[in-house]
Amino acid sequence: MAWIVKPSATTTIPRRDKPYLTDKMKKHYRAEIIPRYERPQGALMPILHDVQHDHGHIPYQAMVEIAQLLEIHPADVLDTVSFYEEYTTEPVGKYVVGVCQSIACEVCGHQTILDHLRRKLEIEPHETTKDGRFTLLAMECLGACEGAPCALVNGDRHDNLTIESLDALLDALPD
Amino acid sequence: MPVTEPVLCHRIPTPPWGDPADRHLVTYDEYVKSGGYQALKMALDMKPAEIVDAVKESQLRGRGGAGFPCGLKWTFLPEPDGGRRYLAVNCDEAEPGTFKDRLLCDFDPHLVLEGIAITCHACRLDTAYFFIRGEYHHQAETVQRAIDEAYEAGIFGNKKGILGKGDLSIECYLHRGAGAYICGEETGLLEAVEGKRGWPRVKPPFPAVSGLFGRPTIVNNVETLAAVTPIVLNGAEWFTKMGCDSSIGGPPSYGPKLMGVSGHVNKPGVYEVDLGIPLRKLVDDFAGGMRGGKAYKGAIAGGVSMGILGPDQFDAEMDFDIGRKYDVMGLGTACPTIFDEDTDMVAVARNIARFFKNESCGQCTPCREGAQWIYKLLCRIESGEATSKDLDLLLEIAGSMGIMPGTTICGLADGNNWAVRTIVNKYRSEFESRVKPYFVPVTMGAG
Repeated sequence: MAWIVKPSATTTIPRRDKPYLTDKMKKHYRAEIIPRYERPQGALMPILHDVQHDHGHIPYQAMVEIAQLLEIHPADVLDTVSFYEEYTTEPVGKYVVGVCQSIACEVCGHQTILDHLRRKLEIEPHETTKDGRFTLLAMECLGACEGAPCALVNGDRHDNLTIESLDALLDALPD
Repeated sequence: MPVTEPVLCHRIPTPPWGDPADRHLVTYDEYVKSGGYQALKMALDMKPAEIVDAVKESQLRGRGGAGFPCGLKWTFLPEPDGGRRYLAVNCDEAEPGTFKDRLLCDFDPHLVLEGIAITCHACRLDTAYFFIRGEYHHQAETVQRAIDEAYEAGIFGNKKGILGKGDLSIECYLHRGAGAYICGEETGLLEAVEGKRGWPRVKPPFPAVSGLFGRPTIVNNVETLAAVTPIVLNGAEWFTKMGCDSSIGGPPSYGPKLMGVSGHVNKPGVYEVDLGIPLRKLVDDFAGGMRGGKAYKGAIAGGVSMGILGPDQFDAEMDFDIGRKYDVMGLGTACPTIFDEDTDMVAVARNIARFFKNESCGQCTPCREGAQWIYKLLCRIESGEATSKDLDLLLEIAGSMGIMPGTTICGLADGNNWAVRTIVNKYRSEFESRVKPYFVPVTMGAG
């Protein structure tokens, strides 16, 4: 799990004029998502999923806006964001390639897949290429052990990977 | 009587009854046409207590890992007091080697939803949260679509009662996780639904008394709920004819079970079998035998936290007695990962230790720190830099973390503990051949 270490007292968060949560989104959350939970904080994870999906990360300004919407402390939002691996505070690449490294994939050859990606993309796991196109992740079990080795590419799972099938897959991704 | 026809895989073609290539998502219409939601209609004509009794009689044990009797868990609920009562559906399934719940979400989500509706009726629960792990993107979509269909059909969100019957209106919401193994722990899951970090809670109070938002909550695994549907339909006695009795005088292991076989086998996949099937039979008759005709070396019993079945335990029966008979923690999710003779068990141990190091939530010190130490020690052993003293240190650290030694809140560290200890104990020579001897300096007394 991630622990964020930062000089809180001196940090200024980057801000922009246009809010991350539009009025339309807020209306949707107030009408559809927040009433699902006995306390508004329950709606935090669904909202964070939306922001992460739309922006490729969760900006600090968005955390403050979400806190205001749910009437909780921004620190509570950061607490949740920092805990879950799917939420990032830095932008991820356009395509997130997550290679499973858990036991079934390891004994079925995940290392070949991961090493090939490191060479091909010229990055190490948990880094993003300079052009912002790919982020490489080494993930824990994806729940597809019958298709080991497997990987997630932006949420789509691909099973029984070989170097050839992986190359074909990545080369076919639109720009 | 063994499982003669598919129960949970009734609509999912699974060998030996069907070809996995024919699998497709069963929509609401197709589900109803093939006899779906009949059990729910029967349940609505029964008194809630009758359903709870039927599930108790069936001796259905939780399919999520702990094997806790499902009916007994339901009886822990207090009497309704007019406030909200919750069902949390555990579809976190992040245990390495486990992929059985995914099959149900992928192809037959209505079987689970029917179980949810029956459980809500039986336990008087008004809101269900279907917690699905973040990595299951596609499955979240199929389940959400099924939930929408069930809303349209008047099963959920019906002010006139479930399917227009009774006085209970239930809501069912999908709640997606975001990549944390610990949310599969029941109280960690509750924290995640509340929008907090998934730190397990101190128990007691147990969720049945004080769970989500401090209200009574039942947490059940997807497969457990799916099994409730056929129990209501066919009766408890029918269910107890499948599976096996305990051979050591413990509680029985009745019913069919989804077992996902992975690793070095020819046909990895999920199979529906009787509880109590010997591992060898599961591998040879269902999973197509060992890959490349190689010899069996070991197997993860059912998810890495359960520990490992050694080279002489290929005939282990896959039932809830497995823990007491074969020196593993338990049956877990009953999804074995098989290793052939070429597997480096030190690397297996290192891989599992890395998983627990990454997934420790950081709440309890013995787990957070211990998991790091165990991983570092195993890396050192793998690289050949360690001494025999490190092997003893490894076992000492592993043995000191978890609920059983009494040093942590949840069982994640027990998983780490059992996995590492069973691998080292059952493959001791392999570890010893990788470490350098440790010489104790002895000085002669000068007299």
